[in-house]
Amino acid sequence: MSVYEYDAVIIGGGASGLTASLYLSSRGYKTALISKGDPVCCLSTGGIDVLNGSDSPFDLLAHLPEDHPYSLVGREALIEALSFFMEIMGHAGLPYVGEPGKNRQIITPIGTTKSTGLVPCTMADADLAEDGHLHVVSFKGIKDFYPSYITSRIKNSAFSVFDAKVATTLGIAARFEDDAFLDAFISWLHDLEIPHDRVALPAVLGIRDPVSVMEKISSATGRQVFEIPTLPPSIPGLRLFRALKRLLQAKGGHLYWGREVSSFESQAGRIEAVTLSTTGRPSRVEGKVFILSTGSFVSGGLFASRDWIRETVFGLPVFVPGERKDWFNTDFFAAGHAIEKAGIEVDGTFRPKLTKMDNLFACGSILAHSEILKYQCGHGLAISTGMAAAKMCEGMLS
Amino acid sequence: MMSFEHCVRCTLCVENCPVFKVNPAFPGPKQSGPDAQRFRLDGEKSVDEWVKLCCQCKRCEVACPYGVNVSEIILKAQVKYSSEHFSPFAAHLFANTHELGRLGSIAAPITNFLTSASFVQGTMRLLGLSTHLPMPEYRFLSLARGRRKKGRFKSPRKVVFFHGCYLNYNRPDIGRGIRDLLAYLGCRVAMPPQTCCGLPALGNGDIDMARRYAQKNAQRLVEYIDKGYSVLYACTSCGLTLVHDYPEVFEIPEGRKIAENTYNLHEFILEAIEDGSISMDFGEVNRRIAYHIPCHLRALGIGYPAARLFEKIPGLTFEILEDDCCGLAGSYGFKKKNQQTSVNLGVITAAAITSLPVDAFASDCGACKMQLGHFTGLPAFDPSEIVIESLANRSKKKAVRKRRMP
Repeated sequence: MSVYEYDAVIIGGGASGLTASLYLSSRGYKTALISKGDPVCCLSTGGIDVLNGSDSPFDLLAHLPEDHPYSLVGREALIEALSFFMEIMGHAGLPYVGEPGKNRQIITPIGTTKSTGLVPCTMADADLAEDGHLHVVSFKGIKDFYPSYITSRIKNSAFSVFDAKVATTLGIAARFEDDAFLDAFISWLHDLEIPHDRVALPAVLGIRDPVSVMEKISSATGRQVFEIPTLPPSIPGLRLFRALKRLLQAKGGHLYWGREVSSFESQAGRIEAVTLSTTGRPSRVEGKVFILSTGSFVSGGLFASRDWIRETVFGLPVFVPGERKDWFNTDFFAAGHAIEKAGIEVDGTFRPKLTKMDNLFACGSILAHSEILKYQCGHGLAISTGMAAAKMCEGMLS
Repeated sequence: MMSFEHCVRCTLCVENCPVFKVNPAFPGPKQSGPDAQRFRLDGEKSVDEWVKLCCQCKRCEVACPYGVNVSEIILKAQVKYSSEHFSPFAAHLFANTHELGRLGSIAAPITNFLTSASFVQGTMRLLGLSTHLPMPEYRFLSLARGRRKKGRFKSPRKVVFFHGCYLNYNRPDIGRGIRDLLAYLGCRVAMPPQTCCGLPALGNGDIDMARRYAQKNAQRLVEYIDKGYSVLYACTSCGLTLVHDYPEVFEIPEGRKIAENTYNLHEFILEAIEDGSISMDFGEVNRRIAYHIPCHLRALGIGYPAARLFEKIPGLTFEILEDDCCGLAGSYGFKKKNQQTSVNLGVITAAAITSLPVDAFASDCGACKMQLGHFTGLPAFDPSEIVIESLANRSKKKAVRKRRMP
């Protein structure tokens, strides 16, 4: 058995766990982040949904049920967390724009709009302006991106198709990292002599450094350029994840990726260590505090059988919304299936209720009553509860 | 590990696939792995030649949050395909990396002259080999052939150094450095006769040859493990083969025991420092380096132990780069049919390094160093070389110097 000692051990490498780890390691604590795989954050649009359904997420905060995790976070802490996020993304070379108290509309691949809070700067100009004036550039053969749908909904708009000789979002994004390809694309775009002020592309402007790719196209054509998020594989989601992960490593945080927690040890109301399994020697990761951010059903933090729901790492008590027959609406597309309420209930200090573990905290979509699909608050909830849990840890460690 | 049926088609594996990123002919890990697996029947001849385009970096498997063994499914499909079809010359050649190394080393000056000569390179291309990268040079005085030194054995730790082919035939200087480092730290170092770990044979579709290599090594390693030795590797691909493939793919009876007693070199040093069985006095190393993480170190899931040693070295600044595969992937990039994929990936990964303010890079893998050294034009180090430099800088007039540390 190999043994590693840390101040803080975070289990679950999604947006929430990464935020918590980043906060703690930037405060100088020795931090380990364990993840059994890449998070669903990679599949996201890259936008930070705080709370959708109104012009300002703050209008809606007061109307949330009392047991919603945002009620535990509070408005001030939510603003602080989102500001922290924007600050660190600036350092990571992938700046985000927006205001915590204001929702914005971005265009989707079928030309509808989607409300979100903060967006990467490559989507800064992605609002649906009144008079349109938009030119959409698509790529030959690309899946799940429909320029004619988009232009049919927007005034004064048209589209063109570029042949990148490859049809996948990842493949095209990789091509954009090649200067010769970028130059060829720019000269093609230039020759189009488009009359529109703005150019929209699917989100494929490179993986590592989309900002400079966007700026090059923009300055060469004299047009505002922005990206439209695509269906998975989603490049902006991948960029967000990698930027957070890279930043964490730069701050001295350690990653244990692709490893699953097979067991844990506790003593006198404290988690002492978790064991990571492998085909080789298992590792024992010791910590003074632990944060559980393994996500909900899709991420594997919760597992549902026909009539019970289990938390997969510590076997914590799970809030289950009634019997199975009550878990789902009869209308599949109706918002707010009761099953979305399932998860770990925490107290005001983000410690799971009904457990006597003093040094265990939970954050992110595993929290009960979060109803992420209904309220559209995924990344906002992840970031703010991640930071809130990390602050509780900080209080305990100092 | 879960079977292909647990795949929910989320595409996280696809986002991580280097080959899919640059080669449109490869349908990606989701389709080559879990999707196609339901059509692969025993007793029916494989038709999926494109499955051989996978470079077995295992990034898909590390990314999969549902525990699907994507790359293993693909590996088995590759082996099945190869066993049913004629294998090209290049596959046979690289499956025998060990023999290639032995011959190359015995005739070192001639081999090195020939592989760099233009008329030979033309022939190599005709035989399906890629010449975008110089072939690795062979050294006459291989690590196994070199003179042994005696350590002081002040530590109770006993180790078997599994050096692998690259450190033995191509860079015995690094191998000797590691052996001397371990001896300096007071470990009893054994280097019994050993053969190729088996990965090149497996990667070229010859699982029987791979298993023969593995069995030979396993027998020898277990003898030592039973006498209280730990097995150490520096090449992370050899390491992954010992820890993962011996028990899981080759199903060697002693595989589990070997996996449990096998350590990454830096992981071993770190643990020995932490339990107090060795002490190290790190001297200043004034370098700014990128640390390129080999795909197979990621797949080992042990974190990045060399980076944790780097943290202890004063003056050293480093940045971890783990999101890109170098594209050489052992012998993969030395085959002509993979040349374009390999070059494209090499350029992308090199750009990630050269975009940083660094004057060198380090990587645990010989293939990564060859490829990225070529595309970045920067000096390439094995992490152990940085550690040794640090120790040597601290104790210039003491034991290390006497041991002629570089």
